[in-house]
Amino acid sequence: MRRKRIWSGALLTAGAAVILLPMLVMLVWVFTERWAWPALWPQTFSLRAVREVLHRTGQLAGVLASSVGISLAVAALSVLIGLMTARAIVLYDFPGRGAAVFFTSLPLMVPVTVFAMGVQVTFIRLGLNNTVHGVIIAHLLYSLPYAVYLLTDGTRALGVGLEEQARVLGASGLCAFRKVTLPLLTPVLLAAFSMAYIVSFSQYFLTLLLGGGQVKTFTMVMVPYLQGGERNIASVYSAIFLAVTFLLLVLFEKLARRWMRHGGGNFYG
Amino acid sequence: MRARKAAPYLLLLPHILLSALFLAGLAAGIGQSLGLMPALGLTEPTLDYYREAFTRPDMVRAVLYSLRTAAVSALIATAAGVGICAVLVLSRRAHDRLVGLVRLPIAVPHVVVALLTVLLCSQNGLLARLACLCGLIDEQSQFPALLYDGWGVGVILAYVWKETPFIVYFVLALMANIDGSLGQAAVNLGAGPWRAFRKVTLPLCRDTVLSGFLIIFVFALGAYELPFLLGATAPKALPVLAYIEYVHPDMRHRPYAMALNGVVILISVLSALAYYALMCRKVAALRERGGAR
Repeated sequence: MRRKRIWSGALLTAGAAVILLPMLVMLVWVFTERWAWPALWPQTFSLRAVREVLHRTGQLAGVLASSVGISLAVAALSVLIGLMTARAIVLYDFPGRGAAVFFTSLPLMVPVTVFAMGVQVTFIRLGLNNTVHGVIIAHLLYSLPYAVYLLTDGTRALGVGLEEQARVLGASGLCAFRKVTLPLLTPVLLAAFSMAYIVSFSQYFLTLLLGGGQVKTFTMVMVPYLQGGERNIASVYSAIFLAVTFLLLVLFEKLARRWMRHGGGNFYG
Repeated sequence: MRARKAAPYLLLLPHILLSALFLAGLAAGIGQSLGLMPALGLTEPTLDYYREAFTRPDMVRAVLYSLRTAAVSALIATAAGVGICAVLVLSRRAHDRLVGLVRLPIAVPHVVVALLTVLLCSQNGLLARLACLCGLIDEQSQFPALLYDGWGVGVILAYVWKETPFIVYFVLALMANIDGSLGQAAVNLGAGPWRAFRKVTLPLCRDTVLSGFLIIFVFALGAYELPFLLGATAPKALPVLAYIEYVHPDMRHRPYAMALNGVVILISVLSALAYYALMCRKVAALRERGGAR
């Protein structure tokens, strides 16, 4: 028994190292000026790369704002539309339910490159090409399946019992949904929101093709540095944007907790 | 009563609109791959572009390269992900912090994963330096070229790092749940924990594991970032080659791009059918449990 514990402990530690090591190396690169072969540690550190990125504050702030803004919009829309879709699929039996299930997961099975190259003509015709809302719609299509997946599971696990109980006790449909279902679903809503945010934030090709260089997100700005071999500047951009992402994810969780407490959902304590 | 009937369709309305846009894009892509480009006066459907695509050696190699990297990375990531889930579930300890850590790569964009791979696996990356320290190599050039190589080792490593946590995320909750209920029941009936896991928990997780595999396989098959940033100049990955043809100044090259995309669609459609079959089982289970009013 004890030997098994040691084994699983060692395996999990190795896994943790594989995950963390690359991130730590990237953090070292943020401050690296010279790191000649074959040293394991940089010879010279400097703040040059950090300063160079911060120097263009206007650009950095603009990119941060548009990146985070687009992903927040995508996440909010994903949760809203995802919840509507999940409720339709779970709570009602109607002709076409199978088709609905199929279409909610279809984008998971069609790669972004195929979709983006195919849809560009349609986007141009609809006036969505090279616009922020066009990029938001494109991201939304690929974030939504994850949101629907999580929200369908959550809605199914919750069932309709409690909401019907509230209706029997005289609450209106909207009131029962708002006061009973929403607070209980908060952890799932949070998971769907975070996942949709991450999927949107990571997009490169959709933004490249349908944003046409007009919509500048983090990946658009970072890739040229990576291609140009400027490892330290690429690391600075990556570190800043990862830090922002993790801060936001923690913030979402805090907000959800608080909201749950005030929403009256004491069930999750 | 009529309102009740309309309710699900009203709830689905935004999703239906988005799906229509999605299908329009897909249909346009398939149409163009068949040579239908009314703007250029091409209105006769033809399979020529597919035929030509399959006789151009660079395209055939692209298909094989993409299939290989996607299949190998998805297989390794799925096996590793299920393995990690098994260790987490079977060791039955509170691993909250560890689970949080394992999920970390999910939040890391692919372009950043590309950067991490360069920092670690290139010929002057950290691994090469470690190899030098251990006396395995003396020169940078002696370190195997993991990046920009014909086998796509760097691409595969990057996908494994990024997608293994996705499998863990996708499977862990279900596996812990089943192991805690039915797996525990098997243990109570006299099965050893490993045997209970292998005979009860794992088979019950099969559908979910398979859907997870399909998702990351299709993703890797059609994703652009990693093969573009870490792949070789030849062979190129399907999406990379397709994009080159797509942005070719001569618009008549576009059907080639779409024919390459058509190949991806074909493989994706087969995967989608398999995925749909798995989802249908889920919906059937839903009906049995009487979730519908």
